[in-house]
Amino acid sequence: MVWRALLARLGISLVTLWVVSVLIFIGTNLLPGDVAQIILGQMATPENTAVLREKLGLDKHPVEQYLVWLSNVAMGDLGISKAGLGAGLGTPIVEMLGPRIDNTAMLTVLVGVIAIPISVALGLLAAMHPGTRLDRTITFSTLNIISIPDFLIATILVLVFAVSLGWLPSIVYLRGDESGWVLMKTIAMPLMTLVILCSSQIIRMTRATVLNVMSSPYVEMAILKGVPRRRIILRHALFNAIGPIVNVIALNLAWLVGGVVVVEQIFSYPGLAKLMIEAVQMRDMPLVQACAMIFCAVYVVLIFIADMATILSNPRLRHPK
Amino acid sequence: MKDIQNYQQMYRDGRLSRREFLSAMGALGISAAAAGTLLTSASALASSPNRGGSVIFASNLHGPDDTLDPILGTSTIDYTRANTMYNGLIQVGDDMSLHPELAEEWDVNDDATQYTFKIRKGVAFHGGGELTAKDVVFSMNRHIASGSPSSIKSFFASVIEWRALDKYTVKLNLNSPDADMPIKLTQPQAKIVKANTMNWWEAGTGPYRMDSFQAGVKSTHSRNDNYWRDTGQWLDGIEITAITDPNARLNALLAGSVDMVTLINAKTIGRIEESGNKVLSIPSGLYGGLCCLKNTAPGSDDDFVQGLRYIQDRERIVRKFLRGQGTVGNDHPINVAYGGDHCSELPQIAYDPDKAKYHLNKSGINEAEAYVAPVVGFIEDAMLLMQANLKKIGFNLKIKKVPTDGYWGAVWMKEPLNVVTWNMRPTANSMMAIQFAPNGNWNDTFWNDDRMGTLLKSSLAETDAAKRHEMHCEMQKLVSTKSGMVIPAHTNILDAHNPKIHGFSNCPLGQFGGNGWAEFIWKDA
Amino acid sequence: MSEQTNSTDQSLSFDELPDAPPKRKIKLSWPGKIGIAIVLFWSVIVVIGPTISPYHEADILDEELFIVPGSDEIYPETEFQPPSKIVYLGSDYIGRDLLSRILYGARTTIGISVLATLLAYLIGVTAGIAASVGSRYLDMGLSRVNDALLSIPSIMFALVLIAALNSPGIFWLILITGFIYAASVFRIARSLGQEVMVSDFVEAAKVRGEGLWWIITREILPNIAMPLATDFGLRFVWVILFISSLSFLGLGVQPPMSDWGSMVKENLPGLVLGSYAPLMPAFAIASLTISVNMIVDDLSAATGGKLAKRMIS
Repeated sequence: MVWRALLARLGISLVTLWVVSVLIFIGTNLLPGDVAQIILGQMATPENTAVLREKLGLDKHPVEQYLVWLSNVAMGDLGISKAGLGAGLGTPIVEMLGPRIDNTAMLTVLVGVIAIPISVALGLLAAMHPGTRLDRTITFSTLNIISIPDFLIATILVLVFAVSLGWLPSIVYLRGDESGWVLMKTIAMPLMTLVILCSSQIIRMTRATVLNVMSSPYVEMAILKGVPRRRIILRHALFNAIGPIVNVIALNLAWLVGGVVVVEQIFSYPGLAKLMIEAVQMRDMPLVQACAMIFCAVYVVLIFIADMATILSNPRLRHPK
Repeated sequence: MKDIQNYQQMYRDGRLSRREFLSAMGALGISAAAAGTLLTSASALASSPNRGGSVIFASNLHGPDDTLDPILGTSTIDYTRANTMYNGLIQVGDDMSLHPELAEEWDVNDDATQYTFKIRKGVAFHGGGELTAKDVVFSMNRHIASGSPSSIKSFFASVIEWRALDKYTVKLNLNSPDADMPIKLTQPQAKIVKANTMNWWEAGTGPYRMDSFQAGVKSTHSRNDNYWRDTGQWLDGIEITAITDPNARLNALLAGSVDMVTLINAKTIGRIEESGNKVLSIPSGLYGGLCCLKNTAPGSDDDFVQGLRYIQDRERIVRKFLRGQGTVGNDHPINVAYGGDHCSELPQIAYDPDKAKYHLNKSGINEAEAYVAPVVGFIEDAMLLMQANLKKIGFNLKIKKVPTDGYWGAVWMKEPLNVVTWNMRPTANSMMAIQFAPNGNWNDTFWNDDRMGTLLKSSLAETDAAKRHEMHCEMQKLVSTKSGMVIPAHTNILDAHNPKIHGFSNCPLGQFGGNGWAEFIWKDA
Repeated sequence: MSEQTNSTDQSLSFDELPDAPPKRKIKLSWPGKIGIAIVLFWSVIVVIGPTISPYHEADILDEELFIVPGSDEIYPETEFQPPSKIVYLGSDYIGRDLLSRILYGARTTIGISVLATLLAYLIGVTAGIAASVGSRYLDMGLSRVNDALLSIPSIMFALVLIAALNSPGIFWLILITGFIYAASVFRIARSLGQEVMVSDFVEAAKVRGEGLWWIITREILPNIAMPLATDFGLRFVWVILFISSLSFLGLGVQPPMSDWGSMVKENLPGLVLGSYAPLMPAFAIASLTISVNMIVDDLSAATGGKLAKRMIS
């Protein structure tokens, strides 16, 4: 039964990816302006526009364009960016993505490694002692953090740690050969900002879910029987809360990959989100499509993993009604 | 002092070596130490040049479309890289005079339809091989090839052909006279590259070669040891990147994460100086203004445009938004930075809400929409001030804020009211011609005035200084009363840098002294 | 930071929702009461803000206003001025009154966010209920499209749409935001709806021969109203922050209209100059979002977590 549930989830993930590809293709074709004309800019003439349109395959029927694009993507060919196209070449998108993916992956993994254990622990701690000063401190500070705009948090951190104290660089300037402490120091500012932002979410959710499980009848029964609170949380509540917590973590990781536009912008971090913004601004459709596909694929995979964790940890869900 | 400047210019042009420069200074009675400081710029008096060190330069915009191909350049970061990696045929001095670069000398026939360029000998490309006429012809032909993506293609519309006469001589034939051709050749897009190669790593002759490049991230450069002229090349290495967000850019300088930041907000000058960093402010003809298209309502109504001119609180814009780092505009592009061609006799228009109201009432228009993008530092603030002042006299100006990306293609020369910025051009005539020549490509207010066209041509041929000035005055008056331009202010070129860096020039044609700083600046150890 | 907690909400509601409609009284905690007071305060400001504001939001104050008597300074500073009798909360980056802009901005900020959230609910709940009562294929189709929409980072989604429409006005901003957030509302509405659909009382109603419309209006809607109200609060907070982020990227409302997010953004250079100008609108945002969160906490405590609640108090 578990296997069937997992297979069903896998199928759903694949269908979702396909729908995503259609939506992205339609969405990017909505952008105003003829791509060929945008590339040529002020120098566009009817003749050279026509030539370029043919070169880019824009003269074909949209459905044909979609099918060509989809089969290329499936084979790992994400197309050619207009960057460098004036020189007659264009740049393969796979090449452009490489270093950006490395950067984004590095930051995401580091944030995850730091934020997940800390925030699950803090969330549990708060849930174990609800109503205490510790709980209220944690709840109140995380509430504050999720309630103010992220760019303000980032700017204040820069002013404190980079401009006033001078401890950390205010922007990320990667030379490519950093390692160990030098690397940590270089990316410390965005790392700190993102850890703070993500932790607040995970802490709140961990606390809320565990408290929620605590109110279920069987835990209530255990409490009435006099089982110690700590034991209830660690033995029963946590196990039952794994599903939602893993879900929050997965969503946060997905957000780190594609949603941290503002933070990447402020710290000039050469990640995927910044690349996509630049691509939208340049109307570089193939690049926009490639970035969007990556974000969606990451999301789908992470959610799939979270769902598996949920199914495996909760027998009730293994047999949906 | 004039002598010193001449020698400085000769040194910058490569006509003098450093040693020759120093001995010339000695002849003028200037000590060697003091002469050293004069090597690159009169503004660099605090430190003597030393070799070594590297700088990180943060530009304002970059992205995956950053280009190393000079003909595609559109942004400060592209121009800076072009000046770092390549040379042009001709270069322009701080005083807008023209000087030989890769062309040792050039001749022009009487009606300015034929040019002959003598190419410098012994200039080596980064990837090896000597520069010859063939490379020059190849580079220049790229602008005129059919379907050429060159961003200054229109500059060369009159070119019949570029031809190599021999190994070191190039002939240019034009189908109509163009006395401004040498000026056009100073543009960063007109750099010379090695023939038949698209490998930019090897195609330049410039002071620094490229070691790495990631579009939208950064590039790194190291000294070209085979450079053909002795201009110092003090720095061991240069790193070029960009930080799009202006606050983040400023913070990066304040935190010491980068050494040079371009395009700073005038309001932050105090904070930058307080932190010990230096501001480089170069008076310039660079301006920001509002284009009212003359071929459509509401700009077609002269009273409407005149009303908008009177509502500009120019003094406050310069005082507050530019913090004095600029000059008030008089609705034409030629400010004092253009020297003798600036018409100081023309009365300065002042903020006058009553006259504005009179003209706007007369036009019968009481509502309009302007497209605004932050194309130049103060323009958004100036438009908000205009909007607030118009509100006081009962006129409703709607502002549509749009991003800079795509602005030049989608809004400029399309929407009836739009903001614009123009960099300073080397001469008043080329500036006026590019924007106001009847039916010109970039006549962005669609104001086609025959008298203007006649004056543009005749002033170019006029040799009598007084008469020429008179013609320029008439043109400036025409533009400031008849065209659709509203120009509230000209802004200085504003950049900031680490106090350890010296040697910037005062060329007003681009950021950090015309973007060509790489070979001249040095950094204290 | 937007729809990160969607699926959690779903699971939460799964646990929260008993098989029969909850009939608990909402007991307000102190933070909840303060929250309601602040939300009421801002609601009043939305109505009367422009009336009580000392200046218009577009007014760039005259330099003469700032002249200190006895000083010979003719052109005193007007920008980033500290609070004074002329400008009660200080002035902004081009010399406008911050208090006036916050008062005017309340209408824009709260108005846009409420409308966008309502729109998200209109679309999301309609589609969600349709999916839960409709055929399997309808459910599958809607769910897959919805999953796809959710998988695109919302800020990117908005960016592409806004670029596609060439920086449209407030109307489109609301439409786009509402549409993007409808996806996460759909998930919750659908799962809540499904829970109710399989409950005994709906089965009973079906047996009684009640129509679909009757079931939807009499059984489903009342039963999912409370958890949805909780979610509405959170969603509203995210929408406010989402629109601030759009403002940060230069895609917010058009000048001279003020919204709190773009006020923070446009005054950000003031921070490095030692001005509190960006913190004032940030404080306004935080006061509203924190208040809503505190109310939500009470609401969710009332819908579930009875024992947890007892143990806290």
